[in-house]
Amino acid sequence: MAVGSPRMTREMPLAVVGLSHRSAPVEVRERFVFPAEEAAAVLAELTDTGVADGAVLLSTCNRTELYLELPGAGAGTFTFTRSGTGPGSGSEGGEDAHAHSRGHGSPPSPSPSPSPSPSPGPGQGRGGGRALDAVVRLFARRAGMPVEEAARYLYHRTGRAAAEHLFRVVTSLDSMILGEAQIQGQVRAAYESAAVAGPTLSRLFQAALAVGGRVRSETALGAGAASVPSAAVALARKIFGSLRGRRALVLGAGEMSELALSCLAAEGVRSVVVANRTEARARELAERVGGRAIAYDGLEAALPKIDIVMTATAAPGPVLTRPLLDRVFPGGPRHPLLIVDIALPRDVEPAVGQVENVFLYDVDDLRQIVDDSLERRRAEMPAAERIVDEAVDDFWRWYAARDVAPLIRKLRGRAEAVRRAEVEKALRRLPELAPEQREVVEALTRQLLAKVLHRPTVRLREAAGNGNGVAVVHAARYLFELDGPDGEGDTGAE
Amino acid sequence: MLRAAVCGSADGRPRAPVAVCRAVVTVLHLAALAGYVAVAALLGGSLAGGRARAPGSIAMLTGAAVVLHAAALAVYTIHLGEPPLVGLAPSLSALGFLIGAVVLATTVFRESRTLGVVLTPVVAILLGTALALGLAPAGTPVAYRDAWLYVHVALSFVGYAGLTVAFAAGLVYLLQFRELKGKRFGRVFRFFPALDTLDVLGRRALAIGFPAFSLGLLIGFAWSARFQRPLSAADPKVVWGALIWLVFLAALGARAGGASRCRRGALVCVVGYAVVVFAYVVLRLAEAGGPFFL
Repeated sequence: MAVGSPRMTREMPLAVVGLSHRSAPVEVRERFVFPAEEAAAVLAELTDTGVADGAVLLSTCNRTELYLELPGAGAGTFTFTRSGTGPGSGSEGGEDAHAHSRGHGSPPSPSPSPSPSPSPGPGQGRGGGRALDAVVRLFARRAGMPVEEAARYLYHRTGRAAAEHLFRVVTSLDSMILGEAQIQGQVRAAYESAAVAGPTLSRLFQAALAVGGRVRSETALGAGAASVPSAAVALARKIFGSLRGRRALVLGAGEMSELALSCLAAEGVRSVVVANRTEARARELAERVGGRAIAYDGLEAALPKIDIVMTATAAPGPVLTRPLLDRVFPGGPRHPLLIVDIALPRDVEPAVGQVENVFLYDVDDLRQIVDDSLERRRAEMPAAERIVDEAVDDFWRWYAARDVAPLIRKLRGRAEAVRRAEVEKALRRLPELAPEQREVVEALTRQLLAKVLHRPTVRLREAAGNGNGVAVVHAARYLFELDGPDGEGDTGAE
Repeated sequence: MLRAAVCGSADGRPRAPVAVCRAVVTVLHLAALAGYVAVAALLGGSLAGGRARAPGSIAMLTGAAVVLHAAALAVYTIHLGEPPLVGLAPSLSALGFLIGAVVLATTVFRESRTLGVVLTPVVAILLGTALALGLAPAGTPVAYRDAWLYVHVALSFVGYAGLTVAFAAGLVYLLQFRELKGKRFGRVFRFFPALDTLDVLGRRALAIGFPAFSLGLLIGFAWSARFQRPLSAADPKVVWGALIWLVFLAALGARAGGASRCRRGALVCVVGYAVVVFAYVVLRLAEAGGPFFL
């Protein structure tokens, strides 16, 4: 795709540098995390020192990424090499997972070349490349490792590829768990907490949030449960509908119990009882989640008021047995009782599941739901990717169109200056011309210029609308040497 | 305004040609039927495709079908100067409209809108039958058609609609219960609402349907005693009315207590509804041509 070539992306002043679950293991990722209280200072450092005109820090448990609106134009050259295979490596656009000093700064050539070019082209400057180097140094400082080592885990993308990357991130196509819903809120929070985002970066994040919403509403990418706790919640929802106001009992006070509790609390479960062999640990966990602790011998008294039981103890044998259930609920509970047993070995006797109105599931049952959901989500990927592609094209068109109007003004201004200079030069050589004759010369050159510029102007406007705007704008800039600041056309008169 | 422009004058006497009004009523019914069939097809497609929810367009499509259906019944009422509660075809259409309105109400609540996959085919069958029979008043002589007759029929229809909704909720409850107990997390599990939602819906349908039907029966008896001969216990409509009332009673009784009360209640609704429909067909056939029975 021509518009995605390095040559064509150099002018979109966007870049992303970061690392994710695809490029680094968790023990490395955790070293790169910027604490929330430092995030604002990091962003301010980038914008105040002129490294970027705007910056957004996206930090989740699976990724830390800095999105930048680069100063001046383009990404320029980038010094640090990342070894290994990164996400989307080998893709076109600004992906720079392998290339050292990729040729974003080289002058335009008829066909985009992936070969490195050490020097930036006219009008680009090294700002972008310097920015990326600065960000890598920032990450290295945070991680407390040499810059070259940090760069091994970092990927960076620029221009169109940076936009596409954010769209894939926000739609969860790049997430560890495909279709997870949290990422959209995390991207929104990252954008909202950025003090200075810059016009292009702002537009990019707004477009990204819209794409995220579109994928969620038009595809089933987020349908179903994709983790064991969420599968348990999905089961509970199929029995109780809303979990708001329900009462839950958690057996065990370990890490899994805490995770289960946080999932239940997020669903609005009204009261939680924590039961553990060691009551002190139960009390500790109950205090953390605002629940009530009981010992195992209080189980029979607590069960009649419970809707959901989650078990995750390290007990060697069953904790909830059929005789116990029969004692507590002779003939079965009057209201449905959901029991989710995520312990290994299992905490609940399988015979408990035969009691009327008791719904018993173990970790294999939950896994079945998760596998099914993930398979169905994967089937939705092509539809989601189509939406992302469309959104990238739309963003590209917006960006291209933004450049066309000033370029036309510049082109016409430049041509008019040349015309005026040449007419003046000619008229100085022809002092005998009468005012009417001078006027004819003026009119002739003006008409000539208008006719010559008519087609290019029309074509530029057309290109802005059909997605080829950036390519044509770059070609026009190169051909007519319009890389100077807006309105500053040199006369070109020699 | 509609009355004057389409089917009659302001003084209530029909002016427009009967054929035109009948054509308008038929076309509107056909359009509504098409809407219900589309809703049923969309929901059925979603269920077959293993989707976890009903398509977003369901609410709008159901709304359009119900509005068209309401317009058809309004034109019918304006044209004939009486509600479509007399005669088999108009009554079926009116009953279908009531159930259609319930389907529309369920679409408001996202989690219960998939119940339409059971209810919209019922509406479509009622409407299709009404169209096939021809939408014209018949049966009760004009002299007997007073307000009490309409109140009796309307309340009875609320009862039938309640029982139909309770049947749909019960059927889906049993299917969902089977999936959950059997640890089968397939299409039914994904598509249909939670057990609790279905139980509440079925309970409310019975809670509204039973008193309405009981009151309708009482008014029917009173009306019949006033205008007609005393009713015999062998009269098909008495048999059918009593049967429905007993099914209501059994469904409510089954929910009285115990661990399996929800499942038992759902089962009684499903079996009871099947018995009611079967009994209707048998009694209708036995009383072929009889004028007084729905």
